[in-house]
Amino acid sequence: MSLAQTIELAMPRCWRVDTKPHKFCPGCGHGLVLKALGYAIDELGIQDRAVFGCDIGCSLLSWDFFNLDTIQTHHGRTTPVITGIKRANPKLIGIAYMGDGGGYAIGSQHLVNAAARDEKITVILVNNTQYGMTGGQMAPTTLPGQKTETTPYGRDPEKTGFPFQGPEMVAAISRAGAYVARGTVANFRQLQRFLKRALENQMAGNGFSFVEVISACPTNWRTNAEETWNMIEHVLPQYFKVGEIKVPGAPAAQEGEKKDG
Amino acid sequence: MPKDKPIEGEKRVFMTGNEVVAWAALAADADIMFGYPITPQNEIMHYWTRLAPKFGRDFLQTEDELSAGFTTLGGVLAGRKAFTATAGPGNTLMQEPMSMAEAMRLPMVAIITQRGGPSTGTVIYSQQEVTMTTLGGNGEGMRIVYSTATHQELFDYTIKAFNAAWKYRFPTFVLGDGYQSKMRESLTIYDPAERGIAIVPPEPYFGKPGVPGVDRPPSQLRNTYNMEEELYEVVEHYLEDYAKVAPEVAEYHAHYVDDADLVVVAHGVVARAALMAVKELREDGYKVGYFRPVTLRPLPEKELREVAGRTKKFLVAESANGQLARLLKEGAYGCTTEMLPLFRPGMGITPEEVIAEAKKILG
Amino acid sequence: MTGDSARIVEAYTGEYASGKSEVAINRALGLAREGRPVTLVDLDIVEPCYTLRPLKKTLAAKGITVLAWETGQVGGLGETGNILRAENRWALKRPGDVVLDVGYGVEGAKTLNLLEGAGTDPDLRVLLVINIARPMTGSVEDILVYIKQMGRVDGLINNTHLGDETSVEIIQQGARVLAEAARRSGIPVVATTAVRELAALIGPKDCRGHPVRAIDRYMPGAFW
Repeated sequence: MSLAQTIELAMPRCWRVDTKPHKFCPGCGHGLVLKALGYAIDELGIQDRAVFGCDIGCSLLSWDFFNLDTIQTHHGRTTPVITGIKRANPKLIGIAYMGDGGGYAIGSQHLVNAAARDEKITVILVNNTQYGMTGGQMAPTTLPGQKTETTPYGRDPEKTGFPFQGPEMVAAISRAGAYVARGTVANFRQLQRFLKRALENQMAGNGFSFVEVISACPTNWRTNAEETWNMIEHVLPQYFKVGEIKVPGAPAAQEGEKKDG
Repeated sequence: MPKDKPIEGEKRVFMTGNEVVAWAALAADADIMFGYPITPQNEIMHYWTRLAPKFGRDFLQTEDELSAGFTTLGGVLAGRKAFTATAGPGNTLMQEPMSMAEAMRLPMVAIITQRGGPSTGTVIYSQQEVTMTTLGGNGEGMRIVYSTATHQELFDYTIKAFNAAWKYRFPTFVLGDGYQSKMRESLTIYDPAERGIAIVPPEPYFGKPGVPGVDRPPSQLRNTYNMEEELYEVVEHYLEDYAKVAPEVAEYHAHYVDDADLVVVAHGVVARAALMAVKELREDGYKVGYFRPVTLRPLPEKELREVAGRTKKFLVAESANGQLARLLKEGAYGCTTEMLPLFRPGMGITPEEVIAEAKKILG
Repeated sequence: MTGDSARIVEAYTGEYASGKSEVAINRALGLAREGRPVTLVDLDIVEPCYTLRPLKKTLAAKGITVLAWETGQVGGLGETGNILRAENRWALKRPGDVVLDVGYGVEGAKTLNLLEGAGTDPDLRVLLVINIARPMTGSVEDILVYIKQMGRVDGLINNTHLGDETSVEIIQQGARVLAEAARRSGIPVVATTAVRELAALIGPKDCRGHPVRAIDRYMPGAFW
């Protein structure tokens, strides 16, 4: 299936028209993720309640993307800011939007603890295997052997570890009401479904919801259209398994956990 | 293990400031860098990661600046010359490890490339990290801070920072900025040994030979105390040490101050504009002087007070809203010099602006 | 396109701060002075602090088309700077001459992959700008290693200088080092570049017979 066949052409209603065209690079995955999120928000009719927080990194370019109340936070700190908003006004639907550096490196303790506390928020994390905005340094998700500005000779897993398995970690430490999935910009309709379910999970008060999205950064990968598509469709899924990893009602991973409620 | 010399003899080169820092750290025998991406310091990491393996040095990209700071302390504890580099919000996060370095006299070295603030601000430039770098964290500012103005100074003072840190055992900073990071200019890089600069060797805090408690006392460092008096005694002792070494650490540049009606005071890259302005004003017959603290902690207090004692007015030029001026006011307390501001938070300052302001003051 | 001359498409690559942008700008202006239609493209997305952005209007006024951001479009957003402009991606499809100012180093050179048609354009020549006062490319051996890392290189440019301290001697030293690197790599030296005053002192050819291109300096005023 080609990209053109998988995406709809109309803008989501909750997009801010006067800030389009958006500021991301050609071929960047962010636009697709934000489109899928926009449709999910439209379908759920929550534009009046959804609050959007974006991190520092390329995700910050979404600070004026939607007609939603939006806060551009500090690098790594979007999860606690949205947690605070949700705790102070549970009627709002909190969406924390970040990259792999923001979520898995500098903000990892916040992701861990928000998941462990079962915060009723939705975290969306875009995984493009490196730090885009600072010029392409290694991220926790960088593939073995991948060259970046701080791994000029290729990532050596013996020294710097293997690609971070975020959804698997969140699934392992979260409670039964959590929703955890990994989508990809290569499968737009599935991604839209995952994001909608994540938001529904928050709306139902079930628990924490987390969606990682495999995304493309042709600019820092230095890949043309064909190579980019090959990366997201074939290379990245070898390291990052796409699908729903935890859905509400499934038994919690923790032994001896008491039933909710 | 013998190390290859990264620089043989002397060489005139053309470089960016960040690249200069990476070469200087090699020349200073730095062993390992810990870092986290943030603009405008990224190329310090980029060049270090390209060069380090060629000379048997190490690098780790950590998960954030808290970790970069604390891993640097770990490197120091193990007796390696460890350093880091950061800016802006990263410098904010690093105040926690830096205050531990103060508490335990750990010679960490950090290169700060100031960017615009508050918050994420801009990635470009400022002098708004003066207060934080000199006095940040919960502590007493027992730090050494060199504010550089040229690429030659970036090279010289990066080497000096490692030496000062390991000699005096206070955390030591090279305070640059986004302009210096990215600007290109020529400088001479050199092997310090050939200039007669002795490199102060590191020394392990942990892992010395012998069985702790049997062959040697265990090395046990603490930063919490049970009683006010205990802490007071330790801090007093550190403050005494700091006061003792301050005069030999402090550095400054002064020109045309003897007969000046007005002295322009600036630090870092703004001092370049200030000096150009003062030279031009002198040529036009204005009695204007120039004073630049190179160390912002400790401040060259004696010399500052001498100049403040015989000059009626200071014009303090800085790319911040009075962060240098606050240090000067404390340092020159009791002197009657009037301190006039040329404050441009997060903005560069040109010689023309300094000249215009000086002429306005002198009438 | 004018007259009988073939289309010129040149990509300037090289080490960080080797002078790619300055050489590219002067090349574009030189071609424009010959009456040729020229597009100058900013492809620096690695660490674009010295960029064509602030010069966009100045250069456009001199008769070339400049594809670059303007600082106001990318500033004020925090960490921005590495965003590829959509229009730039299609630059090779434009009629007339195309001069590409590519980001630094190996990662910069790979930026060419982002250009539509870069792999197949028959006119494209990738030129490596070298300043031997840059320590990463300071000796023949360093340059040979550097060329190998860079992938495709069709020609070398001797842009050796020391900023305001540049002398004829250091430029000629660069010519000698590059001539040797050319001999050993089989990649020719296309030109030596020098600021106008020094170019006049050197003459039309440097000490090793490479043509000398006089350049004017635009980049010192092009910060962010």
